[in-house]
Amino acid sequence: MSFFGFDATLPRDRGHQNNAPGFSQPHDAFAGLSGRGAGAEDDALDFEDTYDGLADQLDEGDDVLNDDTFGGEPATQQNVGRDFDFSGQTARIAGTMQEEQMLYNARQPPPRASPPKKASKPAATGYEKYKQPEYIPQLEANASIWGLGPKKTAPAAPAAPAAPTYAPQAYAAPQPAPAAPNRRMMSLEEVEAMIRTQSKPQPPTQQAPPMEIPNVASFLGAPAPAVQPQAPPQPQQPQYPGFAGPPQILQRPHHAEQRPPQPQPQVELPAPSMPQHPQILQRNRTPQEPEPASQRQMPRPAQAQREQRESPQPRQILQNPNRLSGQGQPMSPQAHRSQDMGRGVPKGPSHGRGPSFQGQVITDPQQILQLTEEERAQFLAEEAKRAKRNHKIHLLSKDNGLMTPQDKNFITRIQLQQLVTATGNIDAVDAGPEAALVEDFYYQVFSSIRGAPRASPNQPANQFAQTYLFATHGRYGRFGARGPHGRGDNHMQRMEQQVQRAVEAAKAKPKNKQLVIEGSLGKISFSNAKTPKPLLNIKRPDSADARPASAGNRRTSHGMPVLDRKRALRDIENVYSTLLELEGHERHIPPPLTEDSTADEIQAHMEWRSKLQGYNERLWRELKVMEPIVPNSPTPHSFIAILSHAKGKKAIPRIFRHLDEQQRITILTIIVVHLDSLDVIAHALPSSAASPPPAQLPPAVREEIELFSQAIMPPLFSYVNDAPLNIVAGLLGLVLERTHVSLVLRTKIGLAILTMLVSRAELAKQSAPSDSTDADSWNAQFSRLFDVAEPVLPYLFPGSVVGADDVHVWQFLAAMGAAASPEQQQRLVLGVKERVMETVAVARTLPGELKERRLGEVNLFMRAIGLDVELLG
Amino acid sequence: MLFFSFFKTLVDHPVTVELKNDISIRGTLKSVDQFLNIKLDDISVVEEVKYPHLSSVKNVFIRGSVVRYVHLPGSVVDTALLEDAARREAAQASAKAKAG
Repeated sequence: MSFFGFDATLPRDRGHQNNAPGFSQPHDAFAGLSGRGAGAEDDALDFEDTYDGLADQLDEGDDVLNDDTFGGEPATQQNVGRDFDFSGQTARIAGTMQEEQMLYNARQPPPRASPPKKASKPAATGYEKYKQPEYIPQLEANASIWGLGPKKTAPAAPAAPAAPTYAPQAYAAPQPAPAAPNRRMMSLEEVEAMIRTQSKPQPPTQQAPPMEIPNVASFLGAPAPAVQPQAPPQPQQPQYPGFAGPPQILQRPHHAEQRPPQPQPQVELPAPSMPQHPQILQRNRTPQEPEPASQRQMPRPAQAQREQRESPQPRQILQNPNRLSGQGQPMSPQAHRSQDMGRGVPKGPSHGRGPSFQGQVITDPQQILQLTEEERAQFLAEEAKRAKRNHKIHLLSKDNGLMTPQDKNFITRIQLQQLVTATGNIDAVDAGPEAALVEDFYYQVFSSIRGAPRASPNQPANQFAQTYLFATHGRYGRFGARGPHGRGDNHMQRMEQQVQRAVEAAKAKPKNKQLVIEGSLGKISFSNAKTPKPLLNIKRPDSADARPASAGNRRTSHGMPVLDRKRALRDIENVYSTLLELEGHERHIPPPLTEDSTADEIQAHMEWRSKLQGYNERLWRELKVMEPIVPNSPTPHSFIAILSHAKGKKAIPRIFRHLDEQQRITILTIIVVHLDSLDVIAHALPSSAASPPPAQLPPAVREEIELFSQAIMPPLFSYVNDAPLNIVAGLLGLVLERTHVSLVLRTKIGLAILTMLVSRAELAKQSAPSDSTDADSWNAQFSRLFDVAEPVLPYLFPGSVVGADDVHVWQFLAAMGAAASPEQQQRLVLGVKERVMETVAVARTLPGELKERRLGEVNLFMRAIGLDVELLG
Repeated sequence: MLFFSFFKTLVDHPVTVELKNDISIRGTLKSVDQFLNIKLDDISVVEEVKYPHLSSVKNVFIRGSVVRYVHLPGSVVDTALLEDAARREAAQASAKAKAG
């Protein structure tokens, strides 16, 4: 084989060509022919790839004239000349050979183009009709694609898998097996050397018929040194017509050299002495034809018959390689397939989705390479159209089917749950308005009281909240209780049902707030918008345990203001929390009892009452009003401590609502008893007994005073205004006994409380003058008060006359004046005369309204004692 | 939920939202959600000269996490109620902490 320039080696054996420069070109030429076939060296060459269809042009009928052409003598070693020189002469013109080959290829495009075409389309029909029993129609290089393993070829043609090159196709027929193992191609020099050396010693034996075929085979397949010499001339000739690749290579040299080797075989081949020769020739030739033959329904039956008879296996080998050969031709059957795929797959995407569309794109280049210009153009046009449509569909439907119905359900559930937790507690569904209040207290209450004018900022809002919530009961917490819910009721109902179902599902699941993964050291805590993940998880000690400890601490640390303050603050908070619970409980009041009330309702009412009572007692306890009064203690009474904080003061009006008469008077009593330790009085006290009250108190103190007069005075007033005279007298007595009245008198709150008591007593005396004992006791108390107050009368007024805020003083003086006896009134006038004159004088210099106000204030007192500012002239 | 509850009461009141990037936006609070995302209407940027690109913006949606302060009109805040709401929240939290 190598002799003829065929590359008989497996791709893996081709390394030798480096040693054979003269024959490297033939291989290259071949590569040029087979196109991409040479590219992937590892795969076997396909016959189709290398076959140029020249055999089609061969007129087999003229074979009979071979003898005429070549001479009748058998080819003998003798008449085969040795005047060839391939490695010398031929190698030198290797470049020319290459060029010639290129030229040849260029000049004969049709035969080149046709074989693939034939292979691609007619091949299928041709093989269908080829119904040899041994024939394995589907054998392909990548037969595995078709589900047929290469095993099938193995038994039929052992050499085929190993050497699917054209070499075995053509010549390895008789004995393929021995040829396959060591197909070591000799370089031309080697062959020539062998021929020259070995032809001489063994001329006679070479013509032995039995040896002929093996010789040829072994020569072609693998160098068999002993036999090779004779063979070369013989196969040389038949190659021209058949093989596209090698013949061209060979022809070129022949043309260039006037085909020197050709004449010799021509003479020799038909030689009668070699009966097998024709067969060999034919067999040599058939390899060139099997492909066309099989595809064209065996134009020469005789030949085919002979071939079949002689060697069915070679036949298969010959055919199989056509199919088997990996790279060039294999494309042709593949082209069919991929074309089918190309047409099939494209349709897929249009009905399907993205992925298959992409897959098709990937296969495209391969297909297109196999198509003719026309087909390609058409295909590309179609493809473009289809791709455009698919792209559109793809764009439209790119998210189709991403979620299963289950997924959607799942998401809906999550959203609904979020909705539930966003508007209220999960328990909101059953718990009622209270639950909405739990989550949304501020908003609910605020919106309930908004717009409604509030009598005072400390008026309990929850009364409003209560009515509000009852009014909106039933549609409280869907999306917050605001906005009209009328529209979309149907939709809302469905929503509600869904929410309910979702909530039930959520409840059914055990609540797992933490996940401890086995083997891990930490915990994973879940969070949602309502209950954010706690960054610190502090286990609080039970407050019951903590309280005694701090209490003990408190007891031992008398006089430590910090602890007192803390204690007071804690007390206040306890009061508030109880107060909140109490108010919450109040909202749960059962429907009022009627005569028709059932036992259950009555029972509920009773329970509610008792519970309310429990709250009340708790609140009372926490107010610490009943703590023992320790005279002259450095620590203020607990209740007074509570009152010394702003929020404690703010709690009083709310607490008063829930207290009964007895509790109220107790509170009043405690306050009165501790008047001078009240912060609003103690902090406002003048530095010395003789000095007037500080004109300008610190802002914080002024704020407290303001707050006290706004928060605590009204409930006290409201109580005192109903109090009987004896109680008022008793209270005044307590003030006189327990406090430094002279100091208390010089504070705003002190004056206010005394004014309150005195004025109430006067009213009580007038409304119920009957009880003389009470009046007597009151008069006694008042006289004591007057005696204490008289010396400090000039110092009652805070600050200077100009711009002083002294209305409370005038009020007190007015109350005193009203209650005083005529003699006391005289003393009173004397005591404050100077201040009255100054004030009136200043007031007269003031512009209209201010002047009126100041004069009015003074007049409060003046009129109380039967005088008027106007009289002062 | 206290803040959410609280901010809900400020709806339709003018507020000034100061963002973490120092932009202050004054506008009418239109909506707030549980993440304290804020919708403002009729907005104006306090330092309009500094942020001219916002001068044509009429309403904004502000992600809750970028808010530094919300300046409130004091008159619409019921501090006593707010205190109570805070107490309730604290009581709930402590109850939960004890339970958990």
